[in-house]
Amino acid sequence: MSMERRDLFKLAGVAAAAAVIPSVVVTSATAAEVANKASGKTIVIVGGGFGGLTMAKELKKKDKSIDVTLIEKKDIFMACPFSNTYLGGLKDVSLETLTHDYYAPASKHGYNFVQAEVTAIDRKAKSVTTTSGNFAYDILVLSPGIAYDYEGQFPEWDANKIASVAQACPAALMPGSEHLALKRQMVDMDDGDIVIVPPAAGKYRCPPAPYERAAMMAHYLKTEEIKGKVVVLDTRGGKFAKGAAFKESWADLYDGLIDYKGFTKVIDVDTAKKEITYLEFPDAATLEEGDADDAKKQTAKYEVCNLIPVNKCSPVTKMADIETNGAGYALMDGYSFRSKSDKNVYVVGDAVAHKIPPSGQTAIWGAKRAAGQIVAQLSGKADDPKAGLPAAAANVCYSMVGGAPEEAIMVTHEFSADASGVLKGKGHVPKPKDGNGKFRSKGTGKATREWFAGVKRELFM
Amino acid sequence: MERRSFLKLTGTSAAAIVIAPSLITQRLYADDGALYQTYEKIQLKDADGNPLKASTLTVEENYVFNFPHVATPSIMVDLGEATNKDVKLKADDGTEYIFKGGVGKKGSIVAYSAICPHQLTHPTPDDTFFQYLERKGKTLAMPDAKEAGVFLCSSHLSAFDPKDGGKRLSGPATEGLAQIVLEIDENDEIWAVGVLGPDRFHDYMDAFKPEFKKYYGNKRKAKKLVKTEAKVVTLKNFSKDIIQY
Repeated sequence: MSMERRDLFKLAGVAAAAAVIPSVVVTSATAAEVANKASGKTIVIVGGGFGGLTMAKELKKKDKSIDVTLIEKKDIFMACPFSNTYLGGLKDVSLETLTHDYYAPASKHGYNFVQAEVTAIDRKAKSVTTTSGNFAYDILVLSPGIAYDYEGQFPEWDANKIASVAQACPAALMPGSEHLALKRQMVDMDDGDIVIVPPAAGKYRCPPAPYERAAMMAHYLKTEEIKGKVVVLDTRGGKFAKGAAFKESWADLYDGLIDYKGFTKVIDVDTAKKEITYLEFPDAATLEEGDADDAKKQTAKYEVCNLIPVNKCSPVTKMADIETNGAGYALMDGYSFRSKSDKNVYVVGDAVAHKIPPSGQTAIWGAKRAAGQIVAQLSGKADDPKAGLPAAAANVCYSMVGGAPEEAIMVTHEFSADASGVLKGKGHVPKPKDGNGKFRSKGTGKATREWFAGVKRELFM
Repeated sequence: MERRSFLKLTGTSAAAIVIAPSLITQRLYADDGALYQTYEKIQLKDADGNPLKASTLTVEENYVFNFPHVATPSIMVDLGEATNKDVKLKADDGTEYIFKGGVGKKGSIVAYSAICPHQLTHPTPDDTFFQYLERKGKTLAMPDAKEAGVFLCSSHLSAFDPKDGGKRLSGPATEGLAQIVLEIDENDEIWAVGVLGPDRFHDYMDAFKPEFKKYYGNKRKAKKLVKTEAKVVTLKNFSKDIIQY
């Protein structure tokens, strides 16, 4: 669709006028009409998680005249960070703690929220097709998050098998029914074991999450006096995020309740019999070679199984046909959050190929930087993608390890411009000064709650 | 928009108070008055209700008082060393304002709104992640720094420089702290007169309704402006648990 220059200006005027109306939550149908033609400052954001919500707010904060539309396939926001405390049954943590409506921030900051699923992206026409119509853009922001790679990890499973395992053994890294199903299974469980399978390889959302979950589920077994243990079928041989801190806490708080197996390969799940079959290797080298003759084949009964498959990027980056790495994560233009392939496409959140941990706080941090880069681009100014780097404590991440009393461990990351040409995070796991020489403390337990409360204020206020 | 009308509202009540013009002209914080808001002049009093004397402040101690609203905590510190003067700062929206410097004989006494501009973390009677951290302290927010001497939020590890008008030094915050403008009279007594810089009072009032109910009765009471005087307590007497990383 070509547009006359004059029309473009006219539209820009309309959009700017619309921007001063304080409350611009529109229904999807009208949004599609309003946003059908780009104004010159029209930004469409795909994905309403930590990255997308921050982007929408920051753009409007920086320049009210930017026309911002946030497209999200879900009707309710639900957080993955802090959700393990919900699974663990910590006091006063409810679904309401983890959820929020999308209308309040859209109305407050003056952007459009559209609940729709993106079905196609045409970069030549600068248009996003959704289940609620087409949206034209001048700049497109992708914050689509992750997807699960069951197909890659279990090539012998057909679509039916994948669907049945996904529902019977919910992964619960993408919040929604997965978390509710897992919680329901825990509430309904009899005496017996909970099996957690962390993603077997590659980059995945929230690296400490499966191990925090092990602690929270062990806490649940303990408080509910369920006779059973938490079995972790891992591939990392103990070398995972905050590893030493987790292992110390597991041993101190849940002696014998967490059975960690570090060199395993899951090969089958029988959801009817509630059995998981895996190969147990003696060490990292044999696991990597993967010769079944070196391993012991084990079959374990479970009451609850949380199988988290290998992650890949949401298919939205492929839809946009931008350059990605093998797992679909978007390749970036140097240290910026601009796509390597298209100066009018930005990517934030877990979908970027920068070597920074995929966490909620990182998504917020990146979205703020990207918003600055976008505003600079719109006004024709230069933006230094290395500005403010290295950034100390750019990411702070807490993991709740104890439930009574609440205690947590923490990691901080410094983000810097790595010589390899991408942003890189360097982690540091401190022993808090109130921890009496341990990695965990009650103060960090409180800090975990305040961290999450603060993040929610950031996204929704 | 909401923020502006909020300021307008508080402005109306503040304007109703007669302020000696000299007080304003002596301390013109932002040349055009931008981001400077006067409030009713409040005298700082100690726990016994006696006027607090500037020369009796313990150096590097955190003194908490609520100002300008009943539920908005501020922290005053005698840094022991003079602050910088006429520091130019910039709010996120691009507005510039000028920090004139500390008060007291050495120009070492400052006060800031104790609401972190990042995500509004602040001291409560139960606990605090926000405080001034003495120079010999250590913080994860600035792992390589030789000394601290910063206002610090340990929830997400943002640090601010009290000698530079609360300017952001590190961490996820993007703006600096709002300064509580103090004056010390000829009797060595301390007064809070206004707020300089981008404050977050409006968002704060929206964010903490359950907390206000717990500590102040309700939001309406929490939002009231402090009148005449404010009681000052040390942070360790204000919050049961001081958490600092």
